This record gives sequence, structure tokens and C-alpha cells, in this order.
Amino acid sequence: MNHNKTQACAVIALTAALGATSVSAQELIIGLSSEPTAVDPHYHDLTPNNQLGMHIYSMLATPDANLIAQPELATSWEAEDDNTWVFKLRDDVTFSDGTPFDASDVVFTFCRVMNNESAIGSTGSSVVSNFESVETPDPYTVRIKTKEVEPIMPEMLAGVPILSDSIVEHDEINFDLENDCGVTGTWPSIDDFNVGDAAIGTGPFKLEKFSKGAEITLSRNESYFGPKPDWEAVTFVPVPSDGPRLAGLLSGDYDVIESPAARDLSQIKSNDAFDYVSTPSNRVIFLQLDIGRADSPFITTEDGSNPFQDLRVRQAMSMAIDREAIVARIMDGLASPANQFIPDEMFGAIPQPATLEYNPEKAKELLAEAGYPDGFKVTFHATNDRYINDSQIAQAVAQFLTRVGIETELDAMTRSMFFSRRSGREFSFSMGGWGSSEGGAASFLRQYAVTTDDARGVGGSNYGGWSDPEFDAVVLEAISTVDEAKRSELLQEAEQMAVDKLGFIPLHFESTVWAFREGLNYDGRADQFTLAYQIKRDTE
Amino acid sequence: MDSIRSPRKDDEPVAVRQPLTDTPQRRAMLGKLKRRPSVKASLIALLVITLTGLCLPFLAQQDPYDLTAFSVMDNRLPPMSESFDGMVFWLGTDGQGRDMLSAILYGMRISLLVGLVSTALALIIGVSVGLVAAVLGGRIEAMLMRLVDFVLGFPSILVALVLLAMIGRGVDKVILAIVMVQWANYARIMRSSALSERRKEYVEAAHNLGFGTGRVMFRHIMPNSLSAVLVLATVQIASAITLEATLSFLGVGVPVTEPSLGLLVANGFDYLMSGAYWISFYPGIALLILIFSLNLVGDRLRTALDPKRS
Repeated sequence: MNHNKTQACAVIALTAALGATSVSAQELIIGLSSEPTAVDPHYHDLTPNNQLGMHIYSMLATPDANLIAQPELATSWEAEDDNTWVFKLRDDVTFSDGTPFDASDVVFTFCRVMNNESAIGSTGSSVVSNFESVETPDPYTVRIKTKEVEPIMPEMLAGVPILSDSIVEHDEINFDLENDCGVTGTWPSIDDFNVGDAAIGTGPFKLEKFSKGAEITLSRNESYFGPKPDWEAVTFVPVPSDGPRLAGLLSGDYDVIESPAARDLSQIKSNDAFDYVSTPSNRVIFLQLDIGRADSPFITTEDGSNPFQDLRVRQAMSMAIDREAIVARIMDGLASPANQFIPDEMFGAIPQPATLEYNPEKAKELLAEAGYPDGFKVTFHATNDRYINDSQIAQAVAQFLTRVGIETELDAMTRSMFFSRRSGREFSFSMGGWGSSEGGAASFLRQYAVTTDDARGVGGSNYGGWSDPEFDAVVLEAISTVDEAKRSELLQEAEQMAVDKLGFIPLHFESTVWAFREGLNYDGRADQFTLAYQIKRDTE
Repeated sequence: MDSIRSPRKDDEPVAVRQPLTDTPQRRAMLGKLKRRPSVKASLIALLVITLTGLCLPFLAQQDPYDLTAFSVMDNRLPPMSESFDGMVFWLGTDGQGRDMLSAILYGMRISLLVGLVSTALALIIGVSVGLVAAVLGGRIEAMLMRLVDFVLGFPSILVALVLLAMIGRGVDKVILAIVMVQWANYARIMRSSALSERRKEYVEAAHNLGFGTGRVMFRHIMPNSLSAVLVLATVQIASAITLEATLSFLGVGVPVTEPSLGLLVANGFDYLMSGAYWISFYPGIALLILIFSLNLVGDRLRTALDPKRS
């Protein structure tokens, strides 16, 4: 028996030692907090999907740290007039299957975005649906004419990964959506990408295998046109639970992990073999209120009214919440209180917003003034597996609101259920998150705050039905203004209106943390992406 | 006419009433139960838990379901810490600043409530179904028993998960889900013991005396078939509590603002790597004691009621 145990120990030690050596080779293993749902880069606009896509594909432009587009597959671009953009392409790029890259691939990609039956989150279709025509005067030039003015076209196209036209049978490719763009075969489906046949890109890595729920393996694309990544092979292992993910790092199973819990960081700090980086993100966590309906399903008041329609009630709710306490006690300091919907330094943000004060006494007075001296009852819906500490934050919010008299019952649920119920407008009061990307302040405002208008592609997530014509006018003008200074000014004005009218109540900005073994280095990114090609070996 | 009617007025044939009255066998059975020290300890533990559950508002120093009673500023304090207003957290606080001791006491009450109510409801449904199937027989029996087979064919946790995903969360819904997965156990046991009772002479006698089916069923067959079902019930209370704890641990049971023991363990699970062991540990111990006591008592009850062993 003892002998067996010793043997077992020896085997474990040996395996651990072997594991450690293979790790130090040219292979990187990353523990993900959230698994991508597909390799198809146009399937669903989700951070984990986009992150995987950026390894395999390249875009015409890529956003830098300040979210300004920088050349990638395009070398330069210019706006010939308000509605015409011209992109010059690189002529030295080949896809991972060896076929050369040219303008035909770009046009094919635009066509595929509009011919994507399996898509559920329409990556890129909000950009491409605005295209009047796309021309290719020569193999390395693309001229795009738009229906509505799009001042931030390069930034918008930085979210559209470019596919190879060799993945389908086709005649000459052209942007003729009615006639299938010259494609004669069947359009690629999500499965074609997941098994790897269609996953042909120009990115720094190639897809080896996508095993859903288990792991994703990538190998270095030796024909990549940019600087070669440090790693020959990269493996992503999805580990949604915080504890096992951290344990995996500490035991040497993973080299890098996403989002270790802030409360566990002391373990990494006290251990010389590991290090971490924390970066403020663009993701705001906010409360969404059902303002549009006079009779809301989860609100109980004495007179049957909807208290959220009264500005004083919304102000009271904002004042009831101690954002500093949430940041200090629940986020362990790895977040910052939000006084607007995007970080202060982003494009279109109010440079120095007034602090949203915590004043429970005044909150009670405001409630009484609004005609609810005894408060009211509401059910608060939130996720429990999407945002950092979401269920804990929601409980604290319920605590704060109940204390000023708004009796808040919390119903926290898994994200798939939450998102589908929320888009069905089933909630009266819910907690959401939004990571602003291209367009700065416009990103949140046009998606969540503007009155829903499907034809214009705005207000798609305005589940609370908040509608303010004055505010709408400013945002809509801003997103079609080409002049940057003017646009920034208009966005600031809109942002200030959104904060004053409190159709949404901002809580805090998440900070993202990455932990890794000693000898590695990652700078962290505001867009929360974990990019293997930016993870470097320490050069000492 | 009178001579035929008179037995009908006599509601209590001796053979039927015997197991329910105080008999030497019964006293011996209770004596056997009390003699074992482990069982004695379990009985005392159960009694204490039940009593604390009843007098909770006077015992707990905080109402853990009242969101205004605690503050997030007191969160994750280790055992024996003091809050700013001098209250001592004997077992520490959870991630929201709740006093763990109060939360555990309230959690135990929920667990017991869920266990007892769901078992009682499942017992009533199961016994009725089993009895009807055994006595009526034929197509009704076949139909009811296939339904029982169908229910028992699925893993109970799966059925409960699906049910709760559909109807939402809450103590009442958890009870409903547990009843839905447990009644079939009673139905099957009840049917088999009722089937063997049905062929006994006293039942035949009752039929011959002209008693209606309903009366024979509920006043004659049922009391004599109950012992096996009752033993099962004591064990099932424990498994109902476990099921509730599991469902809450998985996040589909009770609401997060009204934690039961299982949910407290689940909440603490997040903090295990951060050293705040007490959030999971103490509720886990409480759950262990509760289920262990119930199982011991149930086990002993089975031995005591088993005629072959006495």
C-alpha cells in the first residue's frame, strides 16, 4: 500500500516536472474565463469570439490603445467626400492556405457579412448595411460609398475580420448583393469555420482545432505579415469558475489566466513565481430602468404608477447607492466608480464629470417629494455569471435601495436566460454592462440610450424604452458629423444629458486582471482582450 | 336488516386498530430507539434544531433576510470580529456583511421547512396514488404505475433543475419541484405493501361485511401498509433537504437574498481560495449535522419497525 503511494507520488512529481518543461518551450496555455461560442468571426459580436478572431484573422484597420484605427491590411485610407471612403491595401499578404490577399477578399467578406444565416449577433452587418456600393478600381484599392454619413468608417471596419474568397466557389466577386456577389457555391456556415475548413485568415495564428467545452489550439502562422509572435503553439482552455482557474495557474497547468478574482490576488502577490497586471477597462456596469411603460411587470406601488418615470425617483436611486463601497468592498478596489457611461479619457466623454453623490437622506426626501414617502417594491434582475462579481454587486445594490425604502427583491440568473428575457422586455429593473469600443461615447449612447429605430440601426438595446426627443436629436446629429471636434462636443453634450436625466444609472467601470507565471509579460488592454501575440517573454 | 347494519356502526375492528394504539410492541420499539446513544444524540440534535427554528426571531441577533439589517461594509469579517456598533459576529460574515450564525440558523429553518413540507406533500400524493392503484387495479393501476416508472426513470436532480428553470425560484417552487420528484417513491412502496395487505383475511372480512371500497381502502388497508412508507419518509426528509441544498448550490433554488444552507455553501465557495473559509465551512457543518441526525433516526426507525428483526 505504502509502496503504491510512493509510486503514485513519484508519477505525480514526474508529470508535474514534465509539465513544467513543456510549458517553458514555445507553447502558451491560457485559461479563459469565458469560452468563445464559435470560430466564425461574423457569428456573434461577443468579446470572447472577437478575441479568438483577432488571432486567426486580420482587419483592414486595428484599434490602438486609444481606440483610434491604425493600418493593418489597409496601408492608408481617406474620405474623398462625406459618403465615399477609399482604402489602399497591402500587396504582400498571403492567407494561411497560401492564397494571396487582394481587394476581392475584402468585397467577399462584406458580402458574407450580409449572407450569414447562422449569425445571431450580426458582427459587421450594422456597418455593411450602410454600404451603397463597393468598387475595386485595382486589386489593392477598395472604394466604399455609404448611404448615411459614417465619420468613423476605419474604426467601424476594425471590427470586421477579413475572410479569404478561396473558401467558396465563385466567379468574379463584386458587391452585388442581389446576385449573390458572384458566389456560385454555398455560403460558408458556422460549422465550416468550427471544423477549420473555412477558418482561413491572415492573422498571426492558424486554427488547429476547436473542441467546444474543452480547448482551442492554434499554431503560429509562419506567413504572417506582421511581427512574429513569441509562441509556436497556443492553447485556450475555458475555465469559467474563478477557483479552478486560479488553481490551474498555481499548479502550472496554465501560463496565463484571465480575470482572477480580485480577492484572490493576495495569493499571487505573495508568490514570487507569479505576477499579475490590472488595467482599467471601458466596460461600464449600469442599471437599466423600465421607463417606457406606465405599467411595468415587476413594480408594486400603492397607486399602480411607475415611479421610474419620475426623474426625482431616479435621482434618489442614484443617491442611495454608495459606489465607493461597492468598489472597495466587493470589487476589492479593482474598479472605479462611474459618473458617466464611458471612462473620462475616451472620445466624447465629459472630461471632468461631477461626482454622482451618495446621500441616502436626500434620497429619502426625493422619494417623499415624488409621492413615494413609503417607497415601493421592485424586483431587480441581474446576471450571476457574466460580469465581474455581478451577483454580489446586485445584492449590494438591493441592500442600498432597500435602505432608503425601495424594497428590492433580487433575482439573479444565468446569462443566457437573462439576455433572452431582457431582450423580450420582461424586466422592470435590471443590471447590464457595456464595453464601449469604436466611436467612444457614441458606442453606448447609440446602442442603449437612443429611441429604438431598426432602420437606422440605433437603440437596439434600449430595453427600458427610455425616449427623449431632445437627447435623440443630439446623438443622431453627433454620429453623422464628420468634423471630429464638433462630434466630440455633441457627444459630450449628449453624455451630459444622459447623466442628468438618468435614464440609466451608471455604477462603475470594471478593471480587468490577467495573472501569469513569472517570465511572462502582458500589458493588459482596455477592451479586455487576451491576445497571445501580445504576451511576451520577459527580457531581463 | 338490523343484524346486517350493526357491524357497519362498529367502526373499529380490533385487527385494524391495533398498530396505532399503545401496545407492548410499540413501547419496546420506542425503547429500542432511545437506547442507542448515537440515536439519542441525533434526536436531541433534531429537537434543538427544531426548537431554534421555532424561536428564531428571539435567538438570532440579526435577520439575515432583512437587507437593511446588515451592511456591505462589514463583509468577509472572520469569526469573532466586531461590527462598528459592537455586535460580535461569532462565525464571521459573508460577502454581503451578513452574520453567518444568524444566516445558518435561518438557513436550517428553511432546510427543515422544505424537508418536512415537501415530504408530507409527497407522502400524501404517493400514498393516495399507490393505494388507488393497488385497490382498484386493472387499467388504472397500469396507468398510474407507468407514470411512476416514468417519473422514477429520470434522475431527480435533472427533473428538479428543468422544473425550476421553467417556474423560477423561491422556497415554494423548490418544494413543488421536490414533491414532483419524490412522490413516486411512496407510490411504489405503498402499492406493493397495499397489494399484500389486500389479500389478507381481515380485508376480505371487511368486504364481506359490506363496507365500501373507499372505507376499506382508507380505514383498513392504509393504516396497515403505512409502516414501510413512514420509514421511507424519514430517510426522504434528509434527501429532500439534500436536494434543496444541491439546487440552491447550483443557483436555481432559493433567491440569493434569502440564503438556505446550500446557497450559503455555494456563496462561500467563491471565497475558498481567498482564505475566507468560514462562509462555506460552517453552513456545511450545519447541513452535515442536520442530515446525519435525520438519517440515523430514520435508519434506527427502520430496524425498530422491521418485524423480522425484533
